[in-house]
Amino acid sequence: MSVQLMCLTSGGGLPIFTRCKGNTENLPFSLIGSLNGVHMFSKSQRMELLSTVTNDYTVVWKELYDSLIFIGIASACTTEALTQVIECAGSAMVMVVGMDEIIAQRNIERLKRELRVCSPVIDRLLDCLDFGDANTNQSTISISGMVKTILTPENHLIKIVLDTFTECIDSMYSCVLIHGKLAVATDSWWTLHPTEIKLLSLLASAEGSSTTSKDTPVFLPFKSPKAAFRFVTCSLLPDVQVCCLCGPEQQLEEIENSAAYCFKSTMEILGSAVQCHPRNFPATIQLDAGILGVLLINVECRKYMMSKNPQPKRIVNGSHRLDILRTFYYQAVLDVLLSLREDVESTVVKETYWCSEYHKCYALKQHGNVLCVLYNANVPTMVMRSLTRATLKVFMAEKQFCW
Amino acid sequence: MEEEQYLLQHPRDRNHSHEQEQSVSEEEWSEVSSDCSSYYSDTDSSVPEWESSIDESGQLLFIDCHPSVTQTHVDTESSSNVKPPLVKNQTRKSTRSKFLRLIRRRESKRRSKRVMKHESSQENKVTFHDSGDGEIKVVTVRVNEEGVKFKLGRRVKLVETMLGIIVGTFTDGNRVMVSGFTPDSEHDKSIKIGDWLKSVNNIDVNVHNLNTILNQLSGHEAVDLTLQRVTGVEVTKQPPSNELSNQSNFVKSLTGSTNEELLNLLLDQPVGILYLDTEILSENGPEFQGVLYCYPTPLAKNTLCLCRGVFITISHLIDEITKTKPLVTTVQIDKRLAHVVYNIIDSKILFLMLPDNRLTAKEIVLVNDEIVRMLVFIYESIDKCFTEQNTSELDHFFSRFFARILSSGLWSKAEQSIVLSNFKNKANTQAPYQFEELLPMAHHIILPNEAQMQIDDALTELEASDYREWNEDPLDCQRLFTILGSALYHSGYLLASHLIHGDLVDVNCYCRQQGLFHLSRTEPLRSMIHWRECFPYSCNRIEDVIVPSDSRRYLLIVGAGKDLLVVVMEAGGCTEPAEDNLPPDAFYVEEAQATLAHLKELGISELAERWTCSNPGTQVTVPQAPTNVKKKTDFFFNKSNSPISTPVNMQNKKQEVTSILKRRSSDQGPLTQSGSLFSIPDDSELVSEDSISQGGYSERSEVSDEPVLGRRALREKNRNNFDGSDDDDSDIDDYRDGSQISMSSYDLSELRQSLLNDTGDIQPMQLTAGKELVLYHYVHLDSTEGIFLSPPECTVNSNTLDSVLSNFRESCQHIHKLFENTLRFKNLTPQDMANSVMNKSLIAIKEYGVLFETDYLDDNARKTCKHTFWVIGRLFHMPHPREIYVCYKDSVPQNLVEIAFKLGISMIVQ
Repeated sequence: MSVQLMCLTSGGGLPIFTRCKGNTENLPFSLIGSLNGVHMFSKSQRMELLSTVTNDYTVVWKELYDSLIFIGIASACTTEALTQVIECAGSAMVMVVGMDEIIAQRNIERLKRELRVCSPVIDRLLDCLDFGDANTNQSTISISGMVKTILTPENHLIKIVLDTFTECIDSMYSCVLIHGKLAVATDSWWTLHPTEIKLLSLLASAEGSSTTSKDTPVFLPFKSPKAAFRFVTCSLLPDVQVCCLCGPEQQLEEIENSAAYCFKSTMEILGSAVQCHPRNFPATIQLDAGILGVLLINVECRKYMMSKNPQPKRIVNGSHRLDILRTFYYQAVLDVLLSLREDVESTVVKETYWCSEYHKCYALKQHGNVLCVLYNANVPTMVMRSLTRATLKVFMAEKQFCW
Repeated sequence: MEEEQYLLQHPRDRNHSHEQEQSVSEEEWSEVSSDCSSYYSDTDSSVPEWESSIDESGQLLFIDCHPSVTQTHVDTESSSNVKPPLVKNQTRKSTRSKFLRLIRRRESKRRSKRVMKHESSQENKVTFHDSGDGEIKVVTVRVNEEGVKFKLGRRVKLVETMLGIIVGTFTDGNRVMVSGFTPDSEHDKSIKIGDWLKSVNNIDVNVHNLNTILNQLSGHEAVDLTLQRVTGVEVTKQPPSNELSNQSNFVKSLTGSTNEELLNLLLDQPVGILYLDTEILSENGPEFQGVLYCYPTPLAKNTLCLCRGVFITISHLIDEITKTKPLVTTVQIDKRLAHVVYNIIDSKILFLMLPDNRLTAKEIVLVNDEIVRMLVFIYESIDKCFTEQNTSELDHFFSRFFARILSSGLWSKAEQSIVLSNFKNKANTQAPYQFEELLPMAHHIILPNEAQMQIDDALTELEASDYREWNEDPLDCQRLFTILGSALYHSGYLLASHLIHGDLVDVNCYCRQQGLFHLSRTEPLRSMIHWRECFPYSCNRIEDVIVPSDSRRYLLIVGAGKDLLVVVMEAGGCTEPAEDNLPPDAFYVEEAQATLAHLKELGISELAERWTCSNPGTQVTVPQAPTNVKKKTDFFFNKSNSPISTPVNMQNKKQEVTSILKRRSSDQGPLTQSGSLFSIPDDSELVSEDSISQGGYSERSEVSDEPVLGRRALREKNRNNFDGSDDDDSDIDDYRDGSQISMSSYDLSELRQSLLNDTGDIQPMQLTAGKELVLYHYVHLDSTEGIFLSPPECTVNSNTLDSVLSNFRESCQHIHKLFENTLRFKNLTPQDMANSVMNKSLIAIKEYGVLFETDYLDDNARKTCKHTFWVIGRLFHMPHPREIYVCYKDSVPQNLVEIAFKLGISMIVQ
């Protein structure tokens, strides 16, 4: 029900930031210092401290870039998930201030000030952690290491316009976000590291939709950690943004104009695409009545679509559904179905499921796609397999999603 | 061989080597003539052979293995020196009278018939069922002329040089058995180890005339050997292996050298155990202040010990921050992951560190629990365990423990001795996943009802220790022990338990970790006796149970063959008060041994062996590539050792049956008298009794151990015979009512016969739906009862199966962990539930399945052919928590509830 994330300099143990979520308070510095101290001491003994688990909590120590120590304490989540979030948080810091700054640490106070920009991003990353607690804000529920997408029936049309726009601004990297969820992106956008894609989406939506356009310098933690790009976002409609990475030549105004010009004729399409929110897939796709929610994952692109199926009669509390799906993903799917060991291992997991007193979950992997479905508890276990298969087929048949 | 060092040795056992060698040489003839009954084989000592092994604390671990064939087979040249039967009688008499004195010395009047019983069990325990009922074949063998010419002295026997055959004897000491082949011989494939060499060129041979006959034939180019196959079961039971039997290794391991080298190797590995007191730590104390125990030593080289500050601080910090106790910390040492488990006991902490590639974090928690449980069982508490006087014993245990963990994974594949030269490589490889072997439960094999009843009967009788029936005089002394419970194991599989569940788990942990199960599985044990004080769960760790303060409990384990009988006894309370360092009492040891012998005689061992070696059995199968149907059957036929293979010679059988009938009536006298036989030590009577029954003995032994296997006609024939002697029934009843022990061997043999025959058709129920057998493995956990059901270890060598099982076990660990959430939540109070930070989506999971896709690893041609299988776990709450895990081929959908039901049924009906 809580998570605390602390970041310190690994040389001096100076605190850089602390973020909390859930019903917890900031730890006193003495405790943070001791937590850092044990890591430092074990390093002097040529032993690296990684994690400690208790019945309910997980504590992870992680040193990144030989200069930052992250200490995360979270309840009811796996070590893997917490480590993944920490790594993401580290990348978020690099994205904002650049690798040089992180490593050199010339002025801690200035670094702290500069890093304030990424605080909302890190908070959103903490949303990825799975506490299995029904009070989670549903709109922010997300999964670590992957970018959230929305499947609108207009995606293929928007893609054409987006390609034109990208050409106009002399860039290769751009995408359209609807409610902070990625609708379409250029092919080059998908060549970015999954963490970068995720962080850029978060950064764009973290700014809030009040601003019409924004120009932020960003470092790409994997692609270019030392040289900054410009990350430009323009609001096309409320909750619809077009984002791009570009070089220093273009003026912000020019980009805004190009966006307005290119998307002028597609405003209606965008308007109807927004209707897909919050279901995240078009209403034309009818799922079986026993299905309470779906989570569709593209393993290669590290993107996912999560949705609850509107139900005539509500059996499981709606807000709880996505939580269950996410828990299922972290506990049962992440380790086994998403492993990229496939090439080397002779044995791979194809399907997995669990049945609880109150619900059932089923996950299926096919051609790099994983579909996790949350079922009503009264759906027979044997039926889930074929139902999940059929559902995945329905999603894959729709070409206009640009999945 | 020279660079190998052997680990499975007990510090106190080092002095055995000498003693054992001695006893082997002494026994050269007795081995031949009086077979394997261990407790009498030290014919010249007045005390039981194990008595000298008792250490000053009263503990005993005595292991006596079957000598391998090299030691047993009679040197044919000196065989003429074998003492005549008369001498044998004298020795036996002397043994008995000495034994008698031993009993008298204890001033106990419990003497009774048990000596009789020993006698019968001794005589009946013929190791080879050489009833001569196998097929007869004639083989022509070329004589190696050169070998004869260049006779290599006395050590190489004529038969070896001439025929390339190594011979031994059957237990009657007369008939010649093929026990091996010389390395360079090109022997005929139809000659099998264990065959009875009946005649050479139609001249009947025995051990005495073999050499003479061969000498006469030395001019011939080829000779005709007439061989007869003896029943298969016993041959495999006591492999008449060649000189390279592992027994010799084991003897070496008992005598073994020091473990210095191993200790150095362990220091390089991320392993360790550390027990510390955190309260007495002070800023400027000595360097290793507060360290109460540490292994491997020295402290200054032990990573765990050097970094102890880290773990102490973590345990305090985590407690303060999260209000929960730390379980496992994962660290990386020299690029290797390792896990450290915490056991916090008040202000003291026990740490255990093991590398990740040998045991995953989940496995380490289980192993840790088992170790802690075992230590509490034998030392009362962790605090009392890590004291000065236990250090050497603990060192020895942990050196074996770490060496095994690092060099071999599953117990079934564990090595008896560890080859140090290869140690480091092995320690760096990935171990297979483990699951059921790590759980605090005993692997239970359910035998057919009839057998189960016999076992229960025998155990109950042992536990009751009701000796009044045996004595004419009333007992006027207090008992030494009350038996709290007993359990019977075969090859490490639990056959029956009369122990309280918690105690069973304790005993099981102990035997498993000490390697006793492994020993009984892999070594041809002649006899094992283990005795030590223990602190079982039921008398130590349940709070509201009041146990007499002056009472003490002891663990007695006796083993023979693959059977292991565990007895937990209590001294004090209603029995004689306990004393310090109490050594085992010969009377109770022999009672236990007699029970074991009785069960063996009943055929329980054989039945259990049949059930545990039904490779892979009728319930489970081995993954096979689809088109290989034909190959598959071949495969199984070759691998499975089907005990019902040898035809039985009807003629022979009939004769023997009549012979017991005769014997029974003639023996009645001495048997009924036997109660008083030993109250008056009348030597002359003893001698006469012995000499009378001398002839009878061999008959008796042959009958009772006869492998009457699967011949319905024969059985009926026997029944008819018995019917003819109806009027004897009253006599049988007369001396049956006392104890199992006083039953005549006639009854036992019939029981055995019916037990083995009637259960021949009974097979475990097929668990999965559909015609085809699709189940690869299952595990049914019952933590309340402390047992789990699972098919016996399959020795079929299949990489696919190994890979399937490894995946199965990995998934099981994960599923088991998730089910723990459900169980934990169910046990929370409503108040705790509200405060709990548990993931609410995980609190009610009852079924979990994973579908794997894999290649067939055994068949290169079929590698492209994919094979899918399910691993499914299911949790049942009612009436008490049980978990079932199955692994089956993905074809017909299976219902876990149905499988669980069938398994549950199998526990009741057979």
